[in-house]
Amino acid sequence: MKRKSMLWLFAMILVLSAFLAACGGGGSDDASDSDSGDSKDGEKATEEQSGEPQQGGTLTYGLDATPEGLYNWAFYGIATDAEIIEFFDEGLIEYDENLQPIPNLAEWETEDNQHFTFKFKEGVKWHNGEELTVNDWVFALETIAHPDYDGPRYANVETIEGAPAFRAGEADSISGLKVVDDYTIEVTFDEPRLNNLTNIWSYPMSQKEFEGIEVADMSGSEQVRTKPVGLGPFKVENVVPGESLELVKNEDYWNGEVNLDKIIIRVIDNTATVGALQNGDIDMISLQPVSAPDVEKLDNVEVVTAPGLSYYYVGFKLGKFDNDKKEIVEELPKYQDLNLRKAMAHAINREEWIDAFFFGYGKPVNKPVPTAHWIAADDSEVNVYEYDPEKAKQLLDEAGFVDTNDDGFREDPNGDEFVVKFSHYATGNPTFESRSQAIAQYWEEVGLKSEVEMVEVNLYYDMVEKDDPSIETFFGGWGTGTDPDPSALWKADQLWNYPRYNNPDADALLEQALSVEEVGDDQEKRAQVYAEWQKTVTEDVPMIFIAELDEIMGVGENVGGFSMDVSGYNNPAEWYLEK
Amino acid sequence: MLKYTLRRVLGMIPMLFLVSVVVFFLAKAMPGDSLSGEIDPTNTNPEYQEEMREKLGYNDPVYMQYYRWVTDFMSGDFGKSTRYKMPVADLIGEKLPNTIFLALTSLLITYVLAFAMGMYSGRKPYTLGDNLIAGFNYAGIAIPSFVAGVFAVYFFAFKLNWFPFAGSVDIEIDKGTIDYWISRIHHVMLPAFVLGMFSTASYTQFLRNDLIENSRKDFVRTALAKGTPMGKIYNVHILRNSIIPLVTFLGFDIAALVGGAIITEKIFTYPGIGLLFLDSVNNRDYPTVMAITMMLSAMVLIGNLIADILYGIVDPRIRLG
Repeated sequence: MKRKSMLWLFAMILVLSAFLAACGGGGSDDASDSDSGDSKDGEKATEEQSGEPQQGGTLTYGLDATPEGLYNWAFYGIATDAEIIEFFDEGLIEYDENLQPIPNLAEWETEDNQHFTFKFKEGVKWHNGEELTVNDWVFALETIAHPDYDGPRYANVETIEGAPAFRAGEADSISGLKVVDDYTIEVTFDEPRLNNLTNIWSYPMSQKEFEGIEVADMSGSEQVRTKPVGLGPFKVENVVPGESLELVKNEDYWNGEVNLDKIIIRVIDNTATVGALQNGDIDMISLQPVSAPDVEKLDNVEVVTAPGLSYYYVGFKLGKFDNDKKEIVEELPKYQDLNLRKAMAHAINREEWIDAFFFGYGKPVNKPVPTAHWIAADDSEVNVYEYDPEKAKQLLDEAGFVDTNDDGFREDPNGDEFVVKFSHYATGNPTFESRSQAIAQYWEEVGLKSEVEMVEVNLYYDMVEKDDPSIETFFGGWGTGTDPDPSALWKADQLWNYPRYNNPDADALLEQALSVEEVGDDQEKRAQVYAEWQKTVTEDVPMIFIAELDEIMGVGENVGGFSMDVSGYNNPAEWYLEK
Repeated sequence: MLKYTLRRVLGMIPMLFLVSVVVFFLAKAMPGDSLSGEIDPTNTNPEYQEEMREKLGYNDPVYMQYYRWVTDFMSGDFGKSTRYKMPVADLIGEKLPNTIFLALTSLLITYVLAFAMGMYSGRKPYTLGDNLIAGFNYAGIAIPSFVAGVFAVYFFAFKLNWFPFAGSVDIEIDKGTIDYWISRIHHVMLPAFVLGMFSTASYTQFLRNDLIENSRKDFVRTALAKGTPMGKIYNVHILRNSIIPLVTFLGFDIAALVGGAIITEKIFTYPGIGLLFLDSVNNRDYPTVMAITMMLSAMVLIGNLIADILYGIVDPRIRLG
């Protein structure tokens, strides 16, 4: 009996240790060293381009999130749906690797940034065989401006002259749209703006396809959900909602030959990503930083990265915002001391933090614009807060934050206890708590007592938005689009200016950057103004800029012709499979 | 019997009403709504969010929202999903067949395995075979389904390549053909097994213990004394008695399987009600959450009713008045 129970104990220990070993394997060990392993900066294509692209074959593309099934540019809500639409539909304008607009289905001309003339390519066909005309674009714009429209895109139409009147039901059409012929249209905006072109909605919708469907019913219609048509290199053949899509080659594609016969898009759970790539069940997938190190170890898959357009930050709540008056009505005193904010920025070792929690797939960012964007200022032009605990301590001493009661932590200039409260959102992701603890730890190391509070993600953003008193310093992230204008996130009269950053000089610079009289078409000058704005912001430190992350793709070795840059990946028509 | 059933069905109405009140107010008490959460500033703006909140009536007092929901629900309008932008009834209709298929397969696997193993264990208790089965069962009860699911994907799908690792069907196969159904069955086997593991284990042990208990009863000794062969005693006399409690489980299973598939469906990316429910809760898709909750509650109540009625049918000692 005694021997038997010993045997059991031994067996249990064995089993348990096997579990523990399995857990340890996926952990953070040497993840930081392996980051430059076999990953390449969006340049996978080059070596394989020596071989001719091969025709045919079926490529399987993985998604680790479930699409909502709104497969139309005007109606989609989440990035996963957009990733799918990308394969079968495209817009009038594309963006090059510098995020500058380039003609795709249409060319444009403008004299004054208010009146534009668009010329469509002739002979481009929708998947249903109809020819693309400017009427399809007018149809799309009028759909979005329709009062029953339930998507979020009206802001991209609003600036066209007459759109607000159309929406209010005062007009039967948008007066700023003038159809000249089937391929030419004149668009008038309500005022000249430098970003009119990048802001306007540039995706036509097939008028024929949606014939007879009320705008209110469109997002639920099969034209959007299961039988969408587009203009892109692949056609949607079959949809199994929430699970997979079958796309086939568009023989009549206007922009060159399509190499692949078929693309299967499969939704998988992110626990299965690595295994599915290894077995070749999927050929391509966009990766989370956490699974990228495991994928790099696979022989048959390459990890391709490109700079992303989002950044993470730690914000300081500097004021309170009144959403009815659209202004900052109160200043919060706790973090008003500039030296305190600077010291807290210097205290954080961003490289170490990024390596530990993003496995090296990112780098420190020093300004409110991702480095890859063309308006990003050079690091030499802005104030950079390198990791420098000594300097942080010195700044705190100067600001009067000293330890007066020998408890090991600094008190504020009045001699009262000073505790930094740091909030972070909580989801199912277990790394969030440790990564916020790590930041608090950096602050404690320079003598600032810090507390971390994890808040459920939905509540968190609600509290940040409403300037809840329990939010003092907070973690967040922003993505920027191709349009460089950061006004919505930074001006003093904006709800999403979460730190309640209030500097009239900075706001004036943002306005100047968009003004036609002062800047005009001069991109260089515009970038100059934005650089000045970035310098102003970094001097004021309303937030500590932490990291910008890479976009990461796992691509099977047999996939050729794929490349990726900041504007996304290249046209899927160019992808091919090696046999 | 009919009277009893009717009374029970009527009794369900206040129960469902109470459930709806609690769930609705709890759902509304969750922080955030379908428009909040992580914001992608390139894709939306504060004006749109405000406008949609007004349109969806989120700015009204909660009791007014409840009243609106309940009146719509009574007239058969389950509302429109705020996330999928389509009627909830259609949405559920799209996912329900998958879940039912999964549940039935799982039930089938459960009963076949439980009967086979339970019969064996019950007839030959305390042998090596019985111990092995017991070992398997305790593992089945002890391992949570999310662990079992991930391991099953790893071994059976990736290592052995016996089953697909995700999805409900191979999209390239034409709908309606024999191959299509084979593909569906192939896809459903692994999640169904994981889903059924827990109940297989408990049913097996239940059946085994019942068989052992019954085999010691007097009527067995009598039959044995009369010279009835052992096999016949087990298959006819004992089994019939032991089946009674098991059959009544069927009622509970109906609700448990549909509701309990949430985690399994997530791991296998099997697009059913469970996955939809999880997504809807995370995205504060109130109409969908409410509709699914009401459906599950109704099924639990109906399942209980069925169980009670079955008791009366299979066990003559219980009479429903």
